[in-house]
Amino acid sequence: MKQQPGVCTFCGTGCGHFMKVTGTAVERVFPSQNHPVSKGRLCVRGWNIHELLNTAQTINRPLIKKNGQFAIASYEEAIALLVDTLKALPPTAIGFLASPRSTNEEQFLLMKLARAVFKTNTISLSSDAGHRGCLNVLSRGTGMAGMTGSLDEICKAEFLLVAGSDITKQNPIVGSEIHLAAQAGAKIVTIDSRRTQIAKLSNTFLQITPGALKLAVAGIAKCVVQDGLIDSDFVRSSTKGFEEFSASLTQLSEQEITAKTGISIEEFKLVAKALSQAKTAMAFFSSGISGLDEDTISYIFNLFAMTGKIGKEGCGVNPITGINNLQGGYDMGCAPDLLSGFQSLSDQAAVKKFNTAWGVELNITPGRSVSELLAESPGQLKALVVIDHDEGLVRDAAALQKVDFIAYISTYKNKFMDHAHMVLPAARYIEEDGTFTSTDRRVQLSVKKREPQNDVLPGWKLYARIAEKAGAKWSYAGPAEVMDEISRLTPTYAKLSYKKLASTFGGVQWPCDEKNPDGTRRLDIKAAGSSISFAKVSGAFAVPAAGKDFPYLLMIGKAQDFWHQNNLMRKTFIPMREYNATLLDYPEGYVEIAPDTAKALQVRNQWQVKVVSPYGEMLLAVKISADVKPHAAYVPYFARDIIAKALTGHPEIFKQGEDATIPIRIEKV
Amino acid sequence: MYLIKKNDILQIAKALSTEYQVYGPVIEPGSGQTFFEKVEDVSEINLSAPIPAAPPKHIVFPQADRILSYRYAGGNAPVEMKPDFKETPKALFGLRSCDLTGLQCLDRFFLGQEFVDEVYRSLRKKMFIVTNTCVVPFKYCFCVCTDSGPAAEEGYDLNLTDIGDNFLIEAGSAKGKALCEKLQLAKAADKDLAEKNRLVDKSITLFESFSTESKAWVSRVMNRITTGFAKEEVWEYVGDQCFECGACSFVCPSCSCFNVVDTATGDCSCDRLRTWDSCSYEGYSRMAGGHNPRKPVEDRRNKRFFCKLSYSQSKKYLRPGCVGCGRCDWVCPGDIGMPNVVKYIRRETTSRDQL
Amino acid sequence: MNNGTKIVTIPETATIEDIKDEIRDVKTFYMSLDNKELDKNFKIKSGQFIMCTIFGAGEFAVSLPPSPENDRFHLTVRKVGSVTDALHELKAGDKVGIRGPFGNGFPFEEIKGKNIIYVAGGIGLIPLRSSIVHVLQHKKEFGRVLVLHGARTPDDLMYKENLKEWQSFPGFETYITVDVGTPGWTGEVGFVHTLFDKANLPVENTVAFVCGPPVMFNTVIGELLKRGLRDDCIISTLERHMKCGVGKCQHCAIGRTLVCTDGPVYTYRQIKTLGEQI
Repeated sequence: MKQQPGVCTFCGTGCGHFMKVTGTAVERVFPSQNHPVSKGRLCVRGWNIHELLNTAQTINRPLIKKNGQFAIASYEEAIALLVDTLKALPPTAIGFLASPRSTNEEQFLLMKLARAVFKTNTISLSSDAGHRGCLNVLSRGTGMAGMTGSLDEICKAEFLLVAGSDITKQNPIVGSEIHLAAQAGAKIVTIDSRRTQIAKLSNTFLQITPGALKLAVAGIAKCVVQDGLIDSDFVRSSTKGFEEFSASLTQLSEQEITAKTGISIEEFKLVAKALSQAKTAMAFFSSGISGLDEDTISYIFNLFAMTGKIGKEGCGVNPITGINNLQGGYDMGCAPDLLSGFQSLSDQAAVKKFNTAWGVELNITPGRSVSELLAESPGQLKALVVIDHDEGLVRDAAALQKVDFIAYISTYKNKFMDHAHMVLPAARYIEEDGTFTSTDRRVQLSVKKREPQNDVLPGWKLYARIAEKAGAKWSYAGPAEVMDEISRLTPTYAKLSYKKLASTFGGVQWPCDEKNPDGTRRLDIKAAGSSISFAKVSGAFAVPAAGKDFPYLLMIGKAQDFWHQNNLMRKTFIPMREYNATLLDYPEGYVEIAPDTAKALQVRNQWQVKVVSPYGEMLLAVKISADVKPHAAYVPYFARDIIAKALTGHPEIFKQGEDATIPIRIEKV
Repeated sequence: MYLIKKNDILQIAKALSTEYQVYGPVIEPGSGQTFFEKVEDVSEINLSAPIPAAPPKHIVFPQADRILSYRYAGGNAPVEMKPDFKETPKALFGLRSCDLTGLQCLDRFFLGQEFVDEVYRSLRKKMFIVTNTCVVPFKYCFCVCTDSGPAAEEGYDLNLTDIGDNFLIEAGSAKGKALCEKLQLAKAADKDLAEKNRLVDKSITLFESFSTESKAWVSRVMNRITTGFAKEEVWEYVGDQCFECGACSFVCPSCSCFNVVDTATGDCSCDRLRTWDSCSYEGYSRMAGGHNPRKPVEDRRNKRFFCKLSYSQSKKYLRPGCVGCGRCDWVCPGDIGMPNVVKYIRRETTSRDQL
Repeated sequence: MNNGTKIVTIPETATIEDIKDEIRDVKTFYMSLDNKELDKNFKIKSGQFIMCTIFGAGEFAVSLPPSPENDRFHLTVRKVGSVTDALHELKAGDKVGIRGPFGNGFPFEEIKGKNIIYVAGGIGLIPLRSSIVHVLQHKKEFGRVLVLHGARTPDDLMYKENLKEWQSFPGFETYITVDVGTPGWTGEVGFVHTLFDKANLPVENTVAFVCGPPVMFNTVIGELLKRGLRDDCIISTLERHMKCGVGKCQHCAIGRTLVCTDGPVYTYRQIKTLGEQI
């Protein structure tokens, strides 16, 4: 019997699987039937993860660029180069870009390496806008910097709101849970500008004008207030700040809501009623690189707070992470201003604890995020250490040119390597023990299933070697001891250990502490005796309007089977073929338009059109689809480099994430 | 017919292990999940384990199988080709009757058409099959609707039935009989067979209501699909729910679609892999150049059920392609396993309620 | 049907001897099997296909343009994906792998004595070439033989030398048209079915072979039926994504049939009942 349990490491759902490894080859993958979240299911990516793990397209040796060419180097040589280079620079010139794919142990040690060894607080994950915004709202509102509900309680929710997320493509098994809940009688409401699969599976689909998601949520909230659907008992006993939020809604007129969202007030009323009448309800939205902005999340949070749908069984405001350990990355303090467990660098007691444990004096001035620095102060960074990253960073190629030294640490080859001055290999996740924290705060242990090939070091050992070369003495016998240190320094992980994780099938959800030694399934207001604070909202609802010169609203989102920059998918066969189905048909990207729009423009499928915005223009192929409304247009995320290039005058577009909207016109070529 | 004490049943597996690689149902301790796996020691086998999560299809049709490796130096240099057909004697011990039926479907398809599949033949050769009667059905089972259980009727070397203190052993081949004789097993009496029949009859009454309700419906739905009477709107309804994960094909004991890829193993060497594929994938029927005759997802969904439940497709298996194991129902994120699709077709379900 | 050797599972190597540019992105590769004994016994039927391995890139299905008799073995291939791209990179002397021949093939004995119409759109002429040359080799045994070829532009006309040869071959009636003319083009302009009147298409005792892109296919079939051709006298060859060629991988399933073993040649009557897009 060689079936070994493990965790799928593609998206943030954290599905359980079994792997059969024979020698060095992963023979087979199979879903875990009794896993609390995935319950025997996997998506197309998960079913084919063995293809990725068997690929030969990996980084096998340390490489140092000499005269523009990579030459194989020894670990000693490469680590010496890295440490000498970083040591010679002022800490403010050094940046670390952590990876949301690394294990918690690796992220924690990278954070320690940055702050304790190289004295820089410029350490970040790439998705400052998305997931961090979610965590800010949730942390301020509830004290818990993570999903307030739990994925294994989706089946207990009577009402499910999916806000602007193509969830069945991005996190298919979460989408599946929502669908199964609906099959069992729950109501799904999807708000989106494009008719996604979950929209088709919903009881009600509000197809809003692109860019109007925040207003649509505020509209529902307004209907809740107007129609007396507030859970007054809950608001009175368990929340703070309702009046302020409620007052902010009075300025909104029904006319404005309908005019800007394209949805009648009656439909919002129906949704408001269904939400407040349901005993339990959950909201889902994607976080991460293309997630919603903080203000929109605040409205969602407040809507659920006023209807009493936070902090109870079957309830929750649930950001869904797109990459497997994005939540873990923030938990481990891979942010310019955070230590592990969302402890702030400005929290003196916390800093003191770390100083004592690590025998250092931490720099308490927050750093800046790497992507922000690259975008806003190119040239300030002299050295950058990048861990396992999508090619999206290549977008900042011009800024990267100005960085004197880039070290890339990763498992798989990708185009980003071209920008690096040195490359260090890292073992694959099945070649060492490690933990991952999925989107519902579920910490799961993934055990080692084979030896690393070519004596490649696992991440924790590599970081320890770098620290040692830089003069720090780290003496971990293995990742389990790193977890012990994490639990000592991180209140939310206080009672976690490899021993506990190994004996708990399906993982443990944090906070796992003295009070909750077996973890915490969901935020429980009653048990905690705590209260919820309504989030501060802007009250501003600028929705980009289509005008005479730019009559269409372009939204930017995900395309089927396109998963991040697809660097990983490209190393497989089946998922790559599925990805090619989109990319080969439309190699330069496409713009999806409604049949009526196509008729008006007199264009057909796959014809080229010029998409013109106030900021630039680009050529794209037409894809006609009834999934977008007339006057709207959709460009998939994979054309993002093209968009970025064409629309350079509008760089903040990506900060708006999923709800990003640009007025455009389309010209026949 | 023979008898063996319950506690001695693994002696048969032990005897087989001298000549064969033994596979059997094994429970993974951490999760309690059953796998049908190659065992190092026959004591790992658990005959009372629930139906394995995956069918034993991977034994004759691995998820990723190297069928050829080649080295080429380019230019006029000869190309070195090494076919890789694996031929090891295997004993499948404790197969459920649905899975035996699935194996028979694969046999008829891979070995019984115009071309014999050499890769499959070598994996399937020299096999000893021991089936295990399901005296209790499992939650998702509906083999009573597809004529493939709960007891195997043919195609085994030995069939085991737990009849209390003993296992009743029926030999289905000379090979099976010879083994029983060699082990000097006690002869069973007519009453033992009567007990088996009683248990099988009782098992049939224990199936979930879906199976008992649908018994005739599966064949009626076959009729509807074959004659084109399944409504287009139902397929759209089903198609909307398809997550295109491929799981239904992967866990189906009779699904056999595969992909072939040449993957580099070095600068001038490649392995030709044959890997599981699924007709639910969009890229499955896409041709180089972009033409895809089966682009809409409902079209692809429809094809899978057409393949399982139409008379014309059944010809290749000499029976329906569905063996009633219910696995597609377990693994489907879209809740469109076979039983639900049958339900939608019979009820002509085409839409869901609005708020 | 096919008495020669069939290479079923493991490819046999062949060496490319000559390469000819046909039109943009289309080349013809002349080759022979390295195993000379096998090469002698390698018998094809027009309308069949082979699986061709490009070492290091993969395998693809390709129709056979040579006549089964006295014709040099060759493949004519358009660059459409990664594997055919790799083939186009190869030079004379390089090796490829071959499995086959597979598929049912065009009728030949059965259509003797009849009038034959070939309607080919663009590279649809490639699979028809085999049958055309075969019929040409036996012209006496057939009635009127018409070759109607349409392409997008004059540069896209396939097998230009063959076309010339067929135009002057006694008893062959060859008509050519292009969708869009170029300066200097004096021939017909229009879609291929616009040639039907000019060619005075026979209907009685006639078999039509049609091959081309889906849009052209549907128009041509419609025209032929309108003129009274029976649906079982219209013959085509279908293309599908294929992985094994021998009826096992199921990628080429169309309706209840498999293109690799039941096809690739179908009558229009069969195609109509398959219940799938072409």
